[in-house]
Amino acid sequence: MQINQENAVDSTGVDVALNAAVNSLERRIDLSLPLAAIDQDVAQRLKHLARTVKMPGFRPGKVPFKMVTQQYGRDARSEAIGAAIEKSFGEKVREQKLRVVGYPRFEPKTGEGAADPLMLEFCAVFEVYPEVVLGDITGCEIEKPALTVTEAEVDQTLEVLRKQRVTYVAAPRPAASGDRVVIDFFGRRNGELFPGGEGHDFEIILGAGKMLADFEAAVTGLSSGAGKTFDLTFPADYQAPDLAGQTVQFEVTVKSVESSQLPDLDAEFAKSLGVADGDLAKMRDEVRANLEREVKKRLQERIKSQVMDALLAVNPLTVPKAMVDQESRQMAEAALRDMESRGMSVKNVPVEPSWFTEQAKRRTSLGIIVAELVKEKALAAKPEQVRALIDDFAATYEDPAEVVRWYYSQPERLAEAEGLVMENNVVDWVLGNARIKEKQLSFDELMGSGK
Amino acid sequence: MSNFNQERLLQVLRAPQISEKATYVADKNEQVVFIVSSDATKPEVKAAVELLFKVAVKSVQISVLKGKAKRFGRFMGRRNDVKKAFVCLMPGQEINFAEGGGV
Repeated sequence: MQINQENAVDSTGVDVALNAAVNSLERRIDLSLPLAAIDQDVAQRLKHLARTVKMPGFRPGKVPFKMVTQQYGRDARSEAIGAAIEKSFGEKVREQKLRVVGYPRFEPKTGEGAADPLMLEFCAVFEVYPEVVLGDITGCEIEKPALTVTEAEVDQTLEVLRKQRVTYVAAPRPAASGDRVVIDFFGRRNGELFPGGEGHDFEIILGAGKMLADFEAAVTGLSSGAGKTFDLTFPADYQAPDLAGQTVQFEVTVKSVESSQLPDLDAEFAKSLGVADGDLAKMRDEVRANLEREVKKRLQERIKSQVMDALLAVNPLTVPKAMVDQESRQMAEAALRDMESRGMSVKNVPVEPSWFTEQAKRRTSLGIIVAELVKEKALAAKPEQVRALIDDFAATYEDPAEVVRWYYSQPERLAEAEGLVMENNVVDWVLGNARIKEKQLSFDELMGSGK
Repeated sequence: MSNFNQERLLQVLRAPQISEKATYVADKNEQVVFIVSSDATKPEVKAAVELLFKVAVKSVQISVLKGKAKRFGRFMGRRNDVKKAFVCLMPGQEINFAEGGGV
C-alpha cells in the first residue's frame, strides 16, 4: 500500500509518512508523536489550570496540584494529544501543499507499526480538494433559444385571462357544449340506487370532460326544467371496480342551463387586470411587458442549465465525499424546513440525506468548477455589475430606492446578488467561447417546459 | 482489636473533610480530617478509622464547630453543630481517598 512513502523527522520530532491514495481523493498520513512531549504539555496545561481552578474548600488557585491532576488530568491529556495531532497534521499538510476538505479522521495505529512504546502512533485519513483542470469548452454546443413576443402571444395570453374570468348566465335554451348545467340525478342498477349514484344541485360544465362522455352527451340538449331517463354503460376501466363495465339507468332532472360568457375586452376588463384608467392599449402594453419579462427569465434559465451541463461535461471531476455529504445534509435540512413552513408535521417524516446525494454531487462539482473558472478567468462580480442587477430588480417595485437600500443593508442579500452576477458572468463567458446554435422556440414550448 | 460495637463504628465517620486546612495539616503532621457524628468520642474515632482504612492511628484530636445562628424573619434559629476529628496517623501511614475507602 505504501507507494509514496517518505519518512522525515522534522523539527518537532514528528515522524510523518504520507501514503498514496485509497480512492483518488482520499489521502492517508501516518503520524507519530513522542509521548514525552505530550506528557510535558499535559503538565504545563495542568499548571496553568491550577492557577484558576475552583473547588469547594479551597480558595481559587490554592487547590493542591495532585487534586487538580486527579480531576482534570484526563481532559488535559486528551486536549494535549488533540492539539499535538492537529499541529503535526497541519504542518504536514502545509509542507505537502495539500488542500484538505472536511475534517480528517484520526485512527490510532495498532498492529506491527505501533511497536514503539515511546511514540504515539496514528494515521489521519482525509480527502483533498480535487484539482480542477478546466476543460476545453469550445467544443461544446449550446442551444440558444430565442423567442420574440408578438401580438399573437399577447392575444393568446389575453384569451387565457378572459377564460379565467368566465361568468355564467341563465339561458332559456337547450344545453350545449360549454354551458354549465345544474342537475339532480339518480342512478339505479337493477332498480336499486347504488352508492355515489345520487346527486343534488350538481354542477357540470359540458365539454370539460369531468364526467363520462356518454353522460354529458345525454344531458346535452336538455332545457331547464326538463328530465330524462337513460341507460349508461360504464367503461371497463372505470375507477370504481364494482361499476366498471356495468349498465345502469340514470334519471336526470335539469334545474338550470347557463351559458358561459367571456368578459369583453373592454375598459372593465382592463380595470380588473389592474390598469386603473381602463385604457386598452395600456393594458396590452402591460401584458406584453410582463410576458417579455417572463420569457426572458425562462430563456435565461434554459441557457443557464445548458451551460452548467456543458461545464459538467467538459470537466469530469471526482468530488470529495465529505463535501457531498455536507451538501446533502444541508439539502435535507432545507427540505425539512420547507415542509415545516408549509405546515406539515416534520417529526414523522424521515428525510434521509442520501436521497439528495446525486443532486448534491452535481451541485458541489459545479461549485468547484465554477469557482475555479471564476478564479482563472477573472469573472468575479464587480460592484458596478451588482449595482446594475439590483437596480434592475428594483425597477419592478413601486419604490426602487427602498429596494436598493434593502439589498445593500444586509451582507447576505448582497452576497446573493453577487452570486447571481457571477453566475451570469460565467454563462456569458461560456456563451462567448462555446459554439452556439440559435434556435427559434414557440411560445408554448417555452412556457410548457418551465412548469 | 477493639471492644466497640462494629455497627456503631460504621456510623461514626460521616465524611472526609477536604479543604485547604486539611491538606495543610496532612502535609505537616500526617493528620487526616474527618467530620464525625456529634456524639463520637476520640477512642471511637480511632477504632473506626483503624477498622475502615486499615491504618494505625497515633492519636485523635476533636473540635466542635458551633453551628451558625441564623435568623428567619423574626425567629432566631441555629444550625447544627459539627464535630471535626483530626486523626494523627502513625509515621508512614497514608489514607488514599481516591482509591476506594471513604465512608
